[in-house]
This record gives sequence, structure tokens and C-alpha cells, in this order.
Amino acid sequence: MSTTTASTVHREVRTALRLEATCDFSAVRAATLAVRAWLAERGLTAGELAAWELALVEAANNAVKYAGAAGQELPVVIEVSRGEREVEVRVTDHTAGFDWPAEVNLPELDAESGRGLFLIKSLTDQVAYLRHATGNVLVLRRAGPVSAPDEVPDVCQLQKQLAEAETALTDMTAELASSYESLVALFRYSSELGAQTDLADFSRRLLNDLIQIAEADCAVLRLVSHDGSCLETPLVLPGEGQFPLASVALAAGVASVEVNAARNRQDIWFNPEEPLAGSDPLRAVLPGGNGICHPFFVADQLVGTATLGRILADKPFTAAQVNLLHTFIDFLAIQIVNARLLDERTAARVIRRELQIAADIQRSLLPARIPACLPFEVSAACRSALQVGGDFYDLIPAGDGTLLLVIADVMGKGVPAALFAAVLRSTIRSMPQLFDQPGELLAAANRTLYPDLSLVDMFVTAKLAYLDPRGQKIVTASAGHCPLLVCQPGLPAAVATGQSGLPLGIEPLTRYAQVETALPPNTLAMLYTDGLTEARNATGEMLGEPALLQLLEQAAAQTSNAMGAKQYLLARLVNYSGQAPLNDDQTLILIRHRA
Amino acid sequence: MNIQSTDPQTAVVTGLMELVAANATQVRDEIRAALPASTIRLDLDLSSVTFLDSSGLGMLISLHKTLQSRNGMVRLLKPAPNVRQILELTRLHRVFEIAPE
Repeated sequence: MSTTTASTVHREVRTALRLEATCDFSAVRAATLAVRAWLAERGLTAGELAAWELALVEAANNAVKYAGAAGQELPVVIEVSRGEREVEVRVTDHTAGFDWPAEVNLPELDAESGRGLFLIKSLTDQVAYLRHATGNVLVLRRAGPVSAPDEVPDVCQLQKQLAEAETALTDMTAELASSYESLVALFRYSSELGAQTDLADFSRRLLNDLIQIAEADCAVLRLVSHDGSCLETPLVLPGEGQFPLASVALAAGVASVEVNAARNRQDIWFNPEEPLAGSDPLRAVLPGGNGICHPFFVADQLVGTATLGRILADKPFTAAQVNLLHTFIDFLAIQIVNARLLDERTAARVIRRELQIAADIQRSLLPARIPACLPFEVSAACRSALQVGGDFYDLIPAGDGTLLLVIADVMGKGVPAALFAAVLRSTIRSMPQLFDQPGELLAAANRTLYPDLSLVDMFVTAKLAYLDPRGQKIVTASAGHCPLLVCQPGLPAAVATGQSGLPLGIEPLTRYAQVETALPPNTLAMLYTDGLTEARNATGEMLGEPALLQLLEQAAAQTSNAMGAKQYLLARLVNYSGQAPLNDDQTLILIRHRA
Repeated sequence: MNIQSTDPQTAVVTGLMELVAANATQVRDEIRAALPASTIRLDLDLSSVTFLDSSGLGMLISLHKTLQSRNGMVRLLKPAPNVRQILELTRLHRVFEIAPE
């Protein structure tokens, strides 16, 4: 017995035919043939046509046979109406009418007449006889295909049908039970989604359930590595650890159904007729028997493969069990991807938080006000890159109207860099006796910070500048930092002569020389970090030292004080890099000798 | 309609088309009239009978009675499926001997 097919929906469309036949046998016979032809055009089967022809002939014959004298003058009317699901025929007679009997039986076997009503009733689904003074109407209806008279009930056939029906019912019951089990399992997993954090445990339980419900003996789960180059093996069930499977490369020509299924994006079956290749790593788990490998994807990206296997070779997986494999594994795939996304999002959030903390530390280090150092004017600014770069500057009153300027760049990013900047600031401030000896101060700071810096493989470039208003000079010492730029009135901007020692944290006992540079009235000088000279414009070109010198000259000419010069330079820097975000902090300190 | 005796006791009727209300009585009478008195086996070749209604059935029964009164029988030869159907529907397939050939 074939499985039931879904019924389709039909619109109710009726077409109709009306015939009038003279009240005699030949004429009504011709009319019934016309009706038969009309119904044949409308797609009735041979069985249905035969049934209608006979029923109609019997009805029409009665109309003729029992018509009285007056009735014989009137035509027998036949109306046929064809709907999508049924046919209706109305025969109007002009007889005296009769009472349609409650039960219609066959007469005696040797009766020569009296079978008409029986035939009409047997060949139709519904009969109604409506009696009127002007004429009686026999309404006949048949729905759907005929259980044709040629289908004599055959006991053997019925028994066969019954057996087939029972088998189908048993199969369906088994499938239903299995579906129910899997639904329950899936609901259980779904309910854990919110609480579930251990993906490995989740996968293990899901695969164990799948093995049980699908009546498999083992399962192998492979996941694509992060770089997409190979399949790793997180799970072989049952008996984890019993079958250690090495990772297998996702390359062409590898004799592995798992690799091939993943590359071809299709399930691969294996059984004694089509066994695993001799070098297939899966053989370690399933030397014989049969199984199916299912590659699974999320948003078109390969996530991994899942293989179900059975030791018995003669029991292949049913379609229903394969469906189970797909359903369970595709569900697991989504959980795996979700867990990864969650991890990534969490990691990103942690990084963002760290950067936020670092930025806060950096901001807290910068001086709130600029101490006075007349006749020198000082103005400073720090433009932070999105990825905190570790720049900082400090302005420390050094007694007697002098000022110690600190500018530094901690190599590294994030919280560690910000912490070292803080430590450097404290270290320098803790040695006021060396404020007027920037070289010695740097050496001392280096000795203090070296152990910690070298432990984390970081270093710091720094420049200390002691501003002496009475001597109208600036004394600088540099640990691998950018040079002092000076623009004396009437002269082009130039790099001040000086020496630079190694950055802090490279060697513990570095010595730093200090250099004096005169700053006559109207001189504009600048300390900066390499975020300025390494700034890139839209086409990727770096600003460079010559261009910076030029900007300093222009600032000296076009502005009159330190703040003005700073703002001028900042504006030019913003203009240079345009919309592009900074890749490093930019720090600058302007010193102007106001005449 | 054609009737032939294959031997003194057997007659075969061929050439029957429809057996319906319009012609059933007439055909019956024709056959009866042409039936030799010695015939006790009447074979009706139904191979070209396209349609049979209850009047046709009645006619067959009538012939059957005629032959029965002679201790004879009627055989129906090669009935078309739809003819077979109506015979079975009305249980008359056990009354006549049916030879499908």
C-alpha cells in the first residue's frame, strides 16, 4: 500500500450540460451517449464513464417506460453538472412518479426485469427522487473515482492490503516514537542554551544521545581549525581517549571520507561495498561496518564533520536516522558557532575595557595646569590615538622659577604601557635633587626602571629638558627620543645639536649626556614625539622632520605666543592626517621666549 | 444478428451490438424464431456487444429460460469487461456459463 499523498485543494468549478430527448428508448440512448462523451471530455476515468452510462440509461429508460400518454409527448430532460469533486445528473420524467423504496434489492435471479433501481443505486453515491406535478426529477450524484464494478472483492488481495497497512503502521509508529525521543532531546538541549557554558560537555551529551536514538555504535566529531587548514578531533564516542585521532589536513587528495565530505560539502556513506580507504584515519575507530559522514555548515562556512558508524555491516542507517543525524548536528553547529562568537565578543569587550582603563590612566598623568616659567611660555598638547600609544608629558616646577619638562613615549600599548608611564612619572618626580641635571636624572630613572622594563620586554624613549629662564637656555638629555627643534628669530628652524643615549630599559647602566641650547628672546622651541613625524596623510606619506621644521618656522612667524604656536601646529597636524585615525599618540611641548 | 448451427444441438449467435431497451425484445424474438428445435446449447457471441442494460439482461434471462425448458443452457462468449461487470453486479454471472476464450 502506498503511503498517503497529501490532498490538493480544488476550486469549486461547475460546468453543465442540458439535453432534451424525445420520450423513446432510442432517443434517450443517444442522449446518454452524448452525456458520456461530454463527461469523457471532462476527464472522467473509463470506470466512472461506464458507471454513469449505465445508471443514466436505467434512469432514462424508466422515464420512457412509465410515461403516460401525456408524458410521452414531453421530452425527457437530462442535466449534467460536473464539479471538481463530484458529478450530478438530473433526469426529469413525466411519469406518474413513484415512491422510492427504502431498500432496493435484486429480484429473483430468473426475473426478467426489476433490476433498474438496483443498478441506479449501486452505481451512484446519492439518489434523490423529487416528485412534482409538472415532472419528477431523479437526482444522482457520484463523488470522485469509481470503485468500479470490475473490482470484485478478492479476499487474498484484501489480506495483502491489510498486511501492508499493518507494516506501514508499525513503521510509522516506530518513526513517531523516534521523532518524539529526538524532539524531547532537542527541547532539553534548547532549555540549556541560556545556562550552558561548557561546550565540550554539551557536545558530549548531545552526541551520546544521538548515538542512542539513531542506534549507532560510535560517533566522531571533527571541527575545522581556526585557520581553516585542518580538521581537529575534539570528540570520539564512546570511550573518549580510547581512539586518539590526529588532526587531518583539509587538502585535496587526502584519503579520508571526512576531508572529502567537507570539501565536497556532501554527506558520504561507507559500507562493505564502498569501504573506507586503507589509509583513512577513521579506520582506527571503525575498521568495518557502515556509516555516514555529514559535513555541517553555519552561514555557508564549514564548521566541521560528524560521522555516525555501526559495527554491523548489514544494517544501514534508515532515512529517518540520517535525518536525526542532520538535525542533531546542525543544532550542535549553531551552538558551537554561538559559543565562539560569544567568546570573541567577550574578548573584544575585555580589550575595549583595558584600553579604556589605559586611556583613563594616561589622562590622569597629564598636568592639570602649566606652571609659570617667565619669561618662557610653555604650552603642551597630547592627541591620543584610538589604540593608546603610551605617550605622556610632565611639567615639573624645579625651584626658583625653573621648570623641568618631561616628554616620553612608552613602547607598547594598552594598560601595561600606561602603567609604565605612571611609574616613570613618579620616579622622575621622586628625584628633585637631579632636576637641574637631566642627564643624571635619566640615568637614575633608567637604573630604577630597568628590571621591570626588561622583564616585560618594553622600553621607553624619553627626553628631559631643564628650562633655565635666568640663563636663557634649556638643558636637555635624551634617551632615544626625538630631538629638540629650535627656531631662533631670523633663522630657519633647525634641529638642536645633541646626543641621544639608548632608550630606557635596554641596558641598566646607560649614561646620558646633557646638552645646553640657548633660547634667546623670541625663540620658539619644540619637544615632540614621533607620532608627529610619522603621521600619515591620505596617500600614506609620512610628514617627516623637514616638513615639521617648516611648520615650526611658520608657527614662529605667524603666532606670538606659545599657545598660539601650539594651536597653529595642532591645526596643521589635523589637516595633514585628514579623516584617517591616528596610528600613534602625538605629543608636543612648545616653549616661547617672550621678549 | 446472425445465427448458425455448428451441430444439431448447438447454435451460435454472432453480430450482436447493443442489447438495450430499444432493441432487447426484438433481438430476443429474432433469436427465438431462428432457433432450431433441436438446439439445446445456445452460444451467444458477445464480443461485439458494446453495451448491455437491464433490458438486455432481461432478454438474456428470457433466452436462458427458453433453453432451460429444453434441458439446455445458454453460454455467453467473450463478454467485454463492462458487460461482465453488469453481470457480476447483478449476480447473474453464476446463472450463465461465461466463456472468456
